[in-house]
Amino acid sequence: MERENNYNEESLLFIENFSPKIKQCLHQTSYQEREDLEQEIKLKIIEKLATQEFINTPSFWDFFT
Amino acid sequence: MNNGNHKIEEFFCRNMEQIKNPIIKSFLANAKNLYLVEKAILYPTDCNMKMVDETFQSHYIKVQKIKYVSNLIYFYSLDFDKKRRRLHDRFLLIVDDGLTRTGIARNDERIEEGLLDTVEDEQLFQSLQNLTDKQLQILEMIYVKDCSIKTIAETLQTTPQNISNLHRKALKKLHQMLKKEED
Repeated sequence: MERENNYNEESLLFIENFSPKIKQCLHQTSYQEREDLEQEIKLKIIEKLATQEFINTPSFWDFFT
Repeated sequence: MNNGNHKIEEFFCRNMEQIKNPIIKSFLANAKNLYLVEKAILYPTDCNMKMVDETFQSHYIKVQKIKYVSNLIYFYSLDFDKKRRRLHDRFLLIVDDGLTRTGIARNDERIEEGLLDTVEDEQLFQSLQNLTDKQLQILEMIYVKDCSIKTIAETLQTTPQNISNLHRKALKKLHQMLKKEED
């Protein structure tokens, strides 16, 4: 449950911070489709942040050998 | 403490290249992270090293996520429009479809008729009769037969510019005549 909450908060933060970029990318499509696209992008961000695994992080000390 | 500063300086000097790595640079830009790293250099215990590693990894994941989301937004919007256009091309709405079959058939019928035969408005008919033969011919070719200016120029053996001029003059004359009649 707490994990889920974290995800939600994180997704919200991402959507908020990326909103200018989203707005900019809406110009890719025609005027009528923009609202749809905006919603789809936000949905995708939430979905991907919850499912995507970010692994293979190198150790800090690996850089200094 | 002086000795400690010296040790830290030496460590950073030795690893100048790595410090320039953007991910390390952004990690060390945070004062809290820098403090942790310095502590680990001075007292390289397992606990200190591990702490640096953990904060670094969470920093690394955060950067990865930002990069990922940024790319996601960009490529998703591209794909979205591609998909939309593909669907749009495949399933045309009837109104969006320019020339339906019945439309073409009707045009075929009209080609047999001249411009004057297709006009239903009486005022327009009278005005059209006042135009010169050549102007009438050009208007007919443009509006009834749907020819391009270039083909008309070829059939009449003149330049496209000339056709365009005559066309414009004819429309202007028509406009003036209709306006006069209205007044």
